[in-house]
Amino acid sequence: MSSRIPIVPENTIPLPSLKANNGLLSWVASVDHKQIGIMYLIITLVYFLLGGLEALLIRVQLAHPGNDFLTPETYNQLFTMHGTTMIFFVVMPFLIGVGVYLLPLMIGARDMAFPRLNALSFWLFFFGGILLYYSFFTQSGAPDVGWFAYAPLSEKPFSLNKGPTYWALGLLASGIGSVASGLNNVVTILTMRTPGMTMRRIPLFVWMMLVTSLLLVFVIPIITAAFAMMLLDSLLGATFFTPAHGGSAILWQHFFWGFGHPEVYILILPAFGIISEVIPVFSRKPIYGYEFVAASTVAIGLLSLGVWAHHMFAVGLGNVANAYFSLASMLIAIPTGIKVLNWVATMWGGRINFATPMLFATAFIIEFVIGGLTGVAIASVPIDWVVTDSYFIVAHFHYAIFGGSVFAIFAGVYYWFPKFTGRMLSETLGKWHFWLTVIGFNMTFFIQHFLGVMGMPRRTYTYYDMPYWGSMNLISTIGAMILGLSVIVFVWNILASLRHGKPAGDNPWNAWTLEWATTSPAAVENFELVPPVRGRRPLWDLAYPDMPDEPGAKIV
Amino acid sequence: MSVLNFLGAAWSFEPWALIFAAALLASYAALPGFRLNGRSLLFSSGVLLMVLTLVSPLDHLGRNYLFSAHMIQHILLLLVIPLMLISGIPESAADKALRLPLAGAVMRFLGNPVPAWLLGVGSMWVWHMPSLHDIVMKNESLYIAQQICFVLSGFIFWWPVFAPARRARLSPLAATLYLASACLGCSILGMLITFAGAGLYPAYANPTDSAGILSYIRNDLCITPGVDQQIGGLTMWVPGCLIYLAASMATLARWYASPEPGPAGIPAVEGPLAKADSYARD
Repeated sequence: MSSRIPIVPENTIPLPSLKANNGLLSWVASVDHKQIGIMYLIITLVYFLLGGLEALLIRVQLAHPGNDFLTPETYNQLFTMHGTTMIFFVVMPFLIGVGVYLLPLMIGARDMAFPRLNALSFWLFFFGGILLYYSFFTQSGAPDVGWFAYAPLSEKPFSLNKGPTYWALGLLASGIGSVASGLNNVVTILTMRTPGMTMRRIPLFVWMMLVTSLLLVFVIPIITAAFAMMLLDSLLGATFFTPAHGGSAILWQHFFWGFGHPEVYILILPAFGIISEVIPVFSRKPIYGYEFVAASTVAIGLLSLGVWAHHMFAVGLGNVANAYFSLASMLIAIPTGIKVLNWVATMWGGRINFATPMLFATAFIIEFVIGGLTGVAIASVPIDWVVTDSYFIVAHFHYAIFGGSVFAIFAGVYYWFPKFTGRMLSETLGKWHFWLTVIGFNMTFFIQHFLGVMGMPRRTYTYYDMPYWGSMNLISTIGAMILGLSVIVFVWNILASLRHGKPAGDNPWNAWTLEWATTSPAAVENFELVPPVRGRRPLWDLAYPDMPDEPGAKIV
Repeated sequence: MSVLNFLGAAWSFEPWALIFAAALLASYAALPGFRLNGRSLLFSSGVLLMVLTLVSPLDHLGRNYLFSAHMIQHILLLLVIPLMLISGIPESAADKALRLPLAGAVMRFLGNPVPAWLLGVGSMWVWHMPSLHDIVMKNESLYIAQQICFVLSGFIFWWPVFAPARRARLSPLAATLYLASACLGCSILGMLITFAGAGLYPAYANPTDSAGILSYIRNDLCITPGVDQQIGGLTMWVPGCLIYLAASMATLARWYASPEPGPAGIPAVEGPLAKADSYARD
């Protein structure tokens, strides 16, 4: 019998490689941070396509008033699954995955602190997603109560189908994985830096992953506990969130947003990190005000923990509570604004190279600022009362999460793809992808601000033929189709470049963080020898020993 | 009584507050290295603010009418005033005190982040237990003990972060975590008070209207006991948390402004050298 237990093949060449022939087992059994990172990226790409398909179906249904392309039930399932997928199975795991790949490389380590825990995190995420999507094949269908599953709608007797149960179980599993990777990141960053890589010299992406990981460790348990209570309610007849039996439906909202608002920053802080790596490299300047970018991240992280109730202005918490939360929420604009100013100041006077990563990074700043400004607007209670639950909110958070996180993700993919695979993505297809994304994205979502102000409610499967609503929705749907086209170009670019892309070499962008010191794709053991770190840009110091960033580091 | 009359008349002469203040000032003047400069100004304005907090109409409001006034007093005494006092102590004095055998041992124990954190956050939680708060409101000597305890535990809480002697301070990242976790502890209590039903602190539900301003508070300002409790909880939560946040920003600013330890430990020779499995210690 023992001879039939498969031996996990030892990996000897940098992966991914089209020449490697170790089979699936070498991936499934892997505890190597690079392989796990790549698996994260592949799976999130699959979910991105699924979530995008759901979004397109939603937009087709809304293309004209009174449409019956989808039944109301299907529509509810689709917007629930779209939101859940994009937040929990695309943006968050992508950022975790890219962190898993890059953190050890950026700090000059050989792997994460806990490689097996790292694999566990990935597989929890993987199977959590499968659990969630399996609900489509059950009799009652997918969850249909929205991505925040408000009680009592998500509870008996309003939800008798099993959708919300799959939802809670799937997210519970992947949430535990997220806490584990948060802990893993923190320990890795604090203990495994190469000599000279002090905490004041770590790349900003690493710094922001540190803050994000602490947020993960603090806030995911809130929602995990809430999922457990929800499951107790639905499966064992508990009444945590049912007011009729002494529970509290508002309590669910507090739990959900107590997690959900920091979650927004879990989605955006690593994106800030990506932008803080891309912009300096393509402006050929060190980041302007490293200290301010780093410290403002801590401020955002702390502030994000205490402002969730601005999602609940319409609940009736009372004027006093609303006023305090309004004020605290507006304060977040300060550290965020500091970052934007720093990025712009980094570009100012730089020799800017508008390659695709830089195009996405620049567009990120613009789109994210729009999302941020509408965010400051709806932090004001009276404005929020007018536009809450309308398409204005839909537009706002898509500017923050698509215009923010996803644009940064695209920038990151174009920037690090050469490191991940050893080949460049095509610049021509990249530019097509970029312009289609910018046009499609703004066409889809900008007009939704107006729809929201005109009173169109979100989460309704259709709408009356009010003046201009039909044509504005049609524009939005056409935009969504263009966005869909851009994703096809993106996927085509990835598939084609994997085979025929220009070989990248170790450091195609002439960047200066340590991940570019190793081969592309990164060598099996990451580094044999790590370059000396005497400043924030080790490879720059190595290339230009006469003008190091830190004057004390000059070699005499 | 009109509001202006109240503001003029509700000053209370509290001998213990003045004695405590005088004791603080006297021991400050006795510190080695005492000089009249910006630091001593900061220290004495801290003492002045403390006296104002304890004898002004704010105290009268906090003891008789409004939980929220009590909370403002509490935040001032626990977080703001001790920080001013600590920043006023000259570095040399703290350095010398740490070298004395007995005082040094006590300071090292209290300056240990675990008891300091527990005192700083615990004094919020313990003194705000509704039953205890009720007793304190009725008992003069316990009330005095509470106020002094706020100032002292605040002082001990800030010590690991802002101690005048550098070697008594936590490393900047540890200090940030220390402050963030304290902020979380304070926020959770603030949340509990904010979202608990009205009437958590019954003393404020039907105050004896000794100064005759109750109808002004209830009818003109529309501060019902429920609203009062919310303002109190939110004051602890949001501005309280902002103080911790500002303090951690100050810590990070100090960290980034201080010079990097230098390339010691990294051989000053060109070329890749470090083994991939040796790690930095910062």
